[in-house]
Amino acid sequence: MKASRTILTAVTVAITASLAPAQEDGLDMEDLFEEDFEETVVPPINDPLEGLNRAIFRFNDVVYSKVAKPFARTYAKVVPDPVEKGLGNVFDNAKFPSRFVSNVFQGRFGNAGKETGQFLVNSTAGLGGIFKISDEMPELQTSREDFGQAMGSWGMGHGFYLVIPFMGPTSLRDFAGDFVDDTVEPLPEPASLIDDDSDRMTLRIVEFTNRLPALMDLYDSMRRSAIDPYVSVRDAYTQRRARQVAE
Amino acid sequence: MSPRIFLNVFALFCFGIASLAQANVETDPQKQLEKTISSVIDILHDTEARGVEETRKQILSELEKSFSFEIIIRRTLARNWNQLSEAQRDRITVLITDLLIKAYTHELAGADKPKINFLKTDDLGSNKIEIFTTVSYKNTFVSVNYRLANVKSQGWQVYDILIEGTSIVSNYRGQFDEFLQTKTPEQLLELIESKIKEYDK
Repeated sequence: MKASRTILTAVTVAITASLAPAQEDGLDMEDLFEEDFEETVVPPINDPLEGLNRAIFRFNDVVYSKVAKPFARTYAKVVPDPVEKGLGNVFDNAKFPSRFVSNVFQGRFGNAGKETGQFLVNSTAGLGGIFKISDEMPELQTSREDFGQAMGSWGMGHGFYLVIPFMGPTSLRDFAGDFVDDTVEPLPEPASLIDDDSDRMTLRIVEFTNRLPALMDLYDSMRRSAIDPYVSVRDAYTQRRARQVAE
Repeated sequence: MSPRIFLNVFALFCFGIASLAQANVETDPQKQLEKTISSVIDILHDTEARGVEETRKQILSELEKSFSFEIIIRRTLARNWNQLSEAQRDRITVLITDLLIKAYTHELAGADKPKINFLKTDDLGSNKIEIFTTVSYKNTFVSVNYRLANVKSQGWQVYDILIEGTSIVSNYRGQFDEFLQTKTPEQLLELIESKIKEYDK
């Protein structure tokens, strides 16, 4: 009798101990399907021009797969990775003025200061922005700002969704914001010395070309896994902008 | 050895085995997730040849240690879940699991092993956390955040993944909602099947 009780105790102890990690104070399964479970619910964007937008989306899709993708593949093969990365860093560094202005417009003076710090460090120790030294300095990390975000933080809605030929998704608010960003950047020398519009355009094309391989990979990945790529891109755009505005 | 001593030793042995089993169950959600992702990357970059089906099995078995596909899929279907028959629910669960695994692992299976940096964990309250990571992707970094819930009897489970700030649950939910407004669940199943086949081409 005593023997069987000891065995029973041993087995009970073993079972209890092995079950200990189970979370008895956790959530009920059904709680995870409640609507209020979401952290943030992003309201859907108005899309009154859906028919036209879908047509431009299809056009862009053909351009991306037939022209941009093969070009991006060749570019990635021909240009060594460090050069590609360095070029990307230079253009990113040159966009400092628009990020600075957007931070100031949103009253984020701390972030505006950090942006200035990043710009100074990368332009000097980073040899004109080729090396992003500021990545190694946690005290200088910020989230990237643009004027569309600034307008969003003032409570301005998207207006409606737009797909622009060759460029892709935006909204009325963010499209207008892009014009403000464009007037502010690139100011730093030597770019500020370039008066000629065609030279500025060449700079923009070089920048876009350099970003193309990474953009194409992300686009491919989204397109392959999406049930409806148009809806997926529109939702991703809305969610991403909502998060950037909230940050 | 007297029977009493033998039984005491047996009891200690049982307790020891149980403690060892407990030690092997990772209770820190970030460590568990790190282990899971690292194992998946190892399987994907293991040069030993195995069939597609065997690789899928191994990856699913690893992912299930941290990811609850049941929760993720029911959340993507939301109110549409109730419109599906029992058979359709089972089929769609298998198909979406496959599609998600293909989409997730496709990015991690490049020529070089991707580097995953675990940055921080935020407590979202009400038994929820968000783990922030970056994945080195070609010449750039992609932010990938995992939202986990502490579920009764299951422990910490990933219920959503945010890629560059975009929730995949919310993204798929919008797509399923719009698709099922004009088409049938059967058409949805066929479309997902064709999407999975595209990955194998």
